[in-house]
Amino acid sequence: MPRRLFVSVLAIMLGIALSFPAGAVEEIKIGVLYPLTGGAAAEGKELRDGAELATEIANNAKSELSMTMAKNAGIKSLGGAKIKLIIQDHQGNPQLGADLAKKLIQDDKVVGLMGAYHSAVTKTVAAVAERYGVPLINESSTSPALTKEGNKWFWRTTPHDTTFTNDLFVFLEGLTQGKVKGVKAFDKKDLLPVVSACEKTEWGSNVDAAIKELGKAKGFEPQVSLLYAAKAPDLSSEVQSLLAPKPGTMLFAGYGADAILMVKTLKSMKAKPKVIWGQDAGFESPEFVSTLGDDVEGILTRTVFSPRVGDVKKVAKEVNDLYKAKTGRDLSGASARSFTATQAWVHILEKAGSTKPEAIQKAANDIKIDADELIVPWKGIKFSTSGQDLGQNELGTGMIGQYQKGKDGKMILEIVYPFELATTNMIYPVKGW
Amino acid sequence: MEDLFIQISKAVVAGLMMGLVFGLVALGLTIIFGVMDIVNFAHGEFLMIGMYAGLLTATLLRVDPLVGLPVAAVVGILLGLVCYYSLVRFLLRGPIVAQLFGTFGLMLFLRNVALMVMGAEPQSLHHGILVGKSFVVGPGMVIELTKLAAGVLSLAAFAGTWWLLNRTKIGKGLTATALDGQAARYMGIPTERMNAFAWALGGATVSVAGALLVNFWPVDPNVGLLFTMIAFTTVALGGFGSIPGAALAGLIVGMMINIAPMWDACAVYLEMEVGWLHQFKYSFVYLAFFLIMVFRPRGLFGWKH
Repeated sequence: MPRRLFVSVLAIMLGIALSFPAGAVEEIKIGVLYPLTGGAAAEGKELRDGAELATEIANNAKSELSMTMAKNAGIKSLGGAKIKLIIQDHQGNPQLGADLAKKLIQDDKVVGLMGAYHSAVTKTVAAVAERYGVPLINESSTSPALTKEGNKWFWRTTPHDTTFTNDLFVFLEGLTQGKVKGVKAFDKKDLLPVVSACEKTEWGSNVDAAIKELGKAKGFEPQVSLLYAAKAPDLSSEVQSLLAPKPGTMLFAGYGADAILMVKTLKSMKAKPKVIWGQDAGFESPEFVSTLGDDVEGILTRTVFSPRVGDVKKVAKEVNDLYKAKTGRDLSGASARSFTATQAWVHILEKAGSTKPEAIQKAANDIKIDADELIVPWKGIKFSTSGQDLGQNELGTGMIGQYQKGKDGKMILEIVYPFELATTNMIYPVKGW
Repeated sequence: MEDLFIQISKAVVAGLMMGLVFGLVALGLTIIFGVMDIVNFAHGEFLMIGMYAGLLTATLLRVDPLVGLPVAAVVGILLGLVCYYSLVRFLLRGPIVAQLFGTFGLMLFLRNVALMVMGAEPQSLHHGILVGKSFVVGPGMVIELTKLAAGVLSLAAFAGTWWLLNRTKIGKGLTATALDGQAARYMGIPTERMNAFAWALGGATVSVAGALLVNFWPVDPNVGLLFTMIAFTTVALGGFGSIPGAALAGLIVGMMINIAPMWDACAVYLEMEVGWLHQFKYSFVYLAFFLIMVFRPRGLFGWKH
């Protein structure tokens, strides 16, 4: 064989070999459980869109983005394998969530799981993951109890409600002390009495407990605190009891339709509190703003994301622009968190270099993702591997936003807490109806 | 003490307004039962369809939700007639078990059709002359206009139905059929048509109740379940087949739903824990149903059996 021909054949073979590296390119299937129908459907779609955008970025090199995940196409340590999300709708139903998780593990042979938004569903899905030894990364369920079960296959990227609720009382205290931008110090009595209403599933009842416990320590113990069914079609009797002591501060935890109904009922019963605060979820879904319009002005919600974060974090703005181009909406707390959890999955798989459960488990326990990588204003992602809060991201932090009308007439979530990140003057007291 | 009085009267007023609507929801159930001894398990689904009729009229035609009332009434009449002629007529010939399962099947059918057509997400009205409006009476008493209108219009619907049944020929025919179908037939009353009329009237009243409710109550395909329970309790309490019974029992059920705020008002006065009762809001209704069935199955005004 002439030498030149031999070299060309060798070169071609080498080329083919390089484009199909050892182990062959495979697909990494991740089962995702979100509520795509039912009362929290709007949030479910946000979560789905956030996770899909992160997958898109991980699977295709986008060098213009300043995050490691965007540098390679696919998982480099797994030969450029692409991530495939298999998204299922659990309708907010814990039993259905568990069944779907089993199906994803047994039939679809997923490498891992992600979800499931409702804490009550996450709880049953986590039990399934634990039984089958399949890793589950949770993006947005904030019941503190979830990381107290000692599960070895469960990791949570978002901060939980103890952190968030603590933030709330630090904020309220700071508000009376004049620490909030645009509000002078005033007597704490103006914010009293405090009342609270939470939906009564796993998540809401834990928020309720956290409000009572942490509020008591700071002198903001609720005078009336009640639980209601998230599917409650009518909340007027609840609101009547809440308004009876003429509250200064009203605290809520509601999922989707019920958060809207709560504000509508408050309006029709002419509530006049000084502060209204919602524990995320229903209070920061796009539907909440689009349905209630100007009525949300002044309402506070704890969150992990506002488009305003883009002003202080370049990567947040870059990703928000991509998200907006894709969906026509800004990132919300839900989509930012599903994006971040998917990103955590990518980093963990990259570190594991294998799809074996044990390798992923080890990688998840060892991982440390820097703050610069993230679109949310956290100090990074590092999961706790011992102690009371097993699998909890120790570096997450919360924010409190307030709905304010921008110059363009659109409602935007301005940051009022942490105090040093405040993007504008706070409206105090809330305008009311 | 004054505050206690205000809080209790607020809860009572809210209970009365809701109670009238609950009464109207139950009216159709009691008429149909009274005339032909059939328990319509699909009653809640009739209400759900009435709610969607009101909602869709208001949103698709961009008119006020109140315009949806006559539309819902027509939809209800047609629904009642179609159900009667295509299903119930045949069920009447079968054993009682067939009647039970027949309307139960109808319930599942209607619910799933709604799920297919409308989707599972709850929908609500956000605009309208009455929606979100309220006025203040006296010290701290806020009346929501949608609920007041629903209460008053339910009362009007009750009066209309009472007049129809007691002061018109067709109504007397219906009452006669209800009292003794065979004797009525001998007297030349077209009982078959009376049965159809009962279903049309039942469908119309419950659909109108639905169109009133949708002003302040979000609708989804499963909303009927809650109202079926409420309607059954109301009818059981008022007595199966009794129209004034349904009205009075509706008011009582309305009060039961407002037990929690009443208790809260007293608890504040007695310095006891407040708020915990709300999570059992509808449990009182279910408990009442159970107790009535055990201790007084014929209800307050039951005149049949």
